Amino acid sequence: MKMMWFHLMPYPKLPEDFNTKHRSVWVDIDPALFDRDVMAETYDTYIDQLVYAEDCGFDGICVNEHHNNGYGMMPSPNLIAAILANRTSQAAITVLGNSVALYNPPIRVAEEFAMLDLFSRGRLIAGFPVGTAMDTTHSYGMNPGNLRPRYYEGIDLIMKAWQATEPFAYNGRFNQQRYVNPVPRPWQKPHPPVWIPGGGSVETWDFCAENDFVYGALTYYGYKMVRETVSGYWQRVEAHGRDDNPHRLAVTQFIGVADTDAEAYQLYREPAEYFFNRSLHVYPGFTDAPGYVTEASVRARYQSQVRQVARNKQAKHDLTWEEMVENGYVVIGGPDTVREQLEEAARELRIGHLCAMLQFGNMSDELTRYNTKLFGEKVAPGLRSIFSEYADPWWPQNAR
Amino acid sequence: MPARRLIYLFGIAGHPELSPAMTAVQQAGWEVVVPSVPGFDGVAGFQPRDEYLDWLTTFWDSIDATGATPCPVVGASVGGMIAAELAALRPEAVTGVALLAPFGIADATDPGFNIFGTPSAERMAHLFAKGVPPAFIKRFAHLGEEEAPVASYLSDVAAANILWPFGERGIAKRLHRITAPRLTMWGDLDEVNPVGNAAMWGGAQIVPGAGHLLEWDAPDQVSAAVIEFVNSLG
Repeated sequence: MKMMWFHLMPYPKLPEDFNTKHRSVWVDIDPALFDRDVMAETYDTYIDQLVYAEDCGFDGICVNEHHNNGYGMMPSPNLIAAILANRTSQAAITVLGNSVALYNPPIRVAEEFAMLDLFSRGRLIAGFPVGTAMDTTHSYGMNPGNLRPRYYEGIDLIMKAWQATEPFAYNGRFNQQRYVNPVPRPWQKPHPPVWIPGGGSVETWDFCAENDFVYGALTYYGYKMVRETVSGYWQRVEAHGRDDNPHRLAVTQFIGVADTDAEAYQLYREPAEYFFNRSLHVYPGFTDAPGYVTEASVRARYQSQVRQVARNKQAKHDLTWEEMVENGYVVIGGPDTVREQLEEAARELRIGHLCAMLQFGNMSDELTRYNTKLFGEKVAPGLRSIFSEYADPWWPQNAR
Repeated sequence: MPARRLIYLFGIAGHPELSPAMTAVQQAGWEVVVPSVPGFDGVAGFQPRDEYLDWLTTFWDSIDATGATPCPVVGASVGGMIAAELAALRPEAVTGVALLAPFGIADATDPGFNIFGTPSAERMAHLFAKGVPPAFIKRFAHLGEEEAPVASYLSDVAAANILWPFGERGIAKRLHRITAPRLTMWGDLDEVNPVGNAAMWGGAQIVPGAGHLLEWDAPDQVSAAVIEFVNSLG
């Protein structure tokens, strides 16, 4: 199993009364909450942490894209990735990713990802998320009804552009270019590995299986809550006649390691409560843009009481620390405790790529480095051999 | 061909049944023809349109299928926008146009209440000033517990697909092409398409106490004005 270090880059100074004084951490968050000096210093700190993750032995370092957001200060993950490509030499530069439909024309993504792949000499993982409704439809004004067809067409254009040996014309529903001929092309041939971060739609599972892309189950609620999603994905993989190589899957997980279980329980409470009860305070109206969810997924929503109950629980945002631990939103403990839980999760869900989130909420730099170092030294070695019998064709050609 | 026939293009929440105002127009001797429009009809399999021109084509097809044109056209909300487009781009199809709080021209300094940035269960309440009519509360209820919310969702998908992000469709650039007689009305309590936008349409009859779907909130005043208007067209 590959171990990856995933940073959300949260703003760490949201006020304690944020939930009662503000309606949403996303879309219409009050810009007065953000201090420019805090932000500037935080960027430096977070980038250093990602570089430190490589020093601690992580196979990959991950960034992602959010807009108008108080828990993800990374509207342009490519800018961060460019710095990381220059400051690291072995880790996979994992951009999860660029919301393709937001780029006009999407060939811009082909160009910037190709640059990152060259900067890193073939260490890029190219992530193509649809993007959340908050990011795409509300913050960027994209029409929810045609976001997905634009997204699929954009990926089609990018993949063709990366592999074309001569200029070509593209005449799509949304994109027309007389000369598609991006300079540069990627370092990796025929193209960098493609990962598709998703939230659980059937269409995304099928898209990954059909195209032989990695599916990234990006959840904030841990491996226990993502069981249903992952199970659905593997069923679609099988239905498409693909093998069950665990490297077809990546899963995110908040993790807190300490020398002992008791110490971990004490250390990670505050940053977890900050994240789950402050950073995820999203106004529900922003999650429900008509057309963002497909008809099939809406129909499934109304037919699945289990998922509705789970959603209601997640939407509470007044979770107790005990609930976060009990439900596996955060895997905490001493090295053995954490390793055992993650091994159980990896084997049950067939996780070939673990995207460990070892910084969350307002976690200090000191605690983040402690967590990262302990995981790298005392947890990762016991997990790395899991699924080593499988090749990983979705790993960058020049990453460790 | 009946001599007194008009087309009614419904608003943002679809057409669960004929509104009280349009029922009164019907009782005044006008046949009210309501085109069926994909998406708003809640029929499964609806695909959002790629662009606005595709929506105009969809509406033109639905309108032409009625065989009612040329005739007066009454359009509300989204339907008002389409009615204005019809009058501007196909003037031969329209003998007069009554617009009830039409979308299509927006003021970014007062974009109005964000109806599609609101939980679906709360949206209807913002379209009416005098409570949500039962017809909208039980929208698509005949389809059953599981399919009704899907049909409602598709109707909202259609409306959002036309209006996103806040209803600006550049009609101001085409207003000069409307040569047919025009009546414009607006509720002064319109949350989603603020009454201030009426000025950009060249003014409107303001209906006190009415919300966005004013033909439901103020049936007497709206029907009286519409009947007088369509009767005046000869």
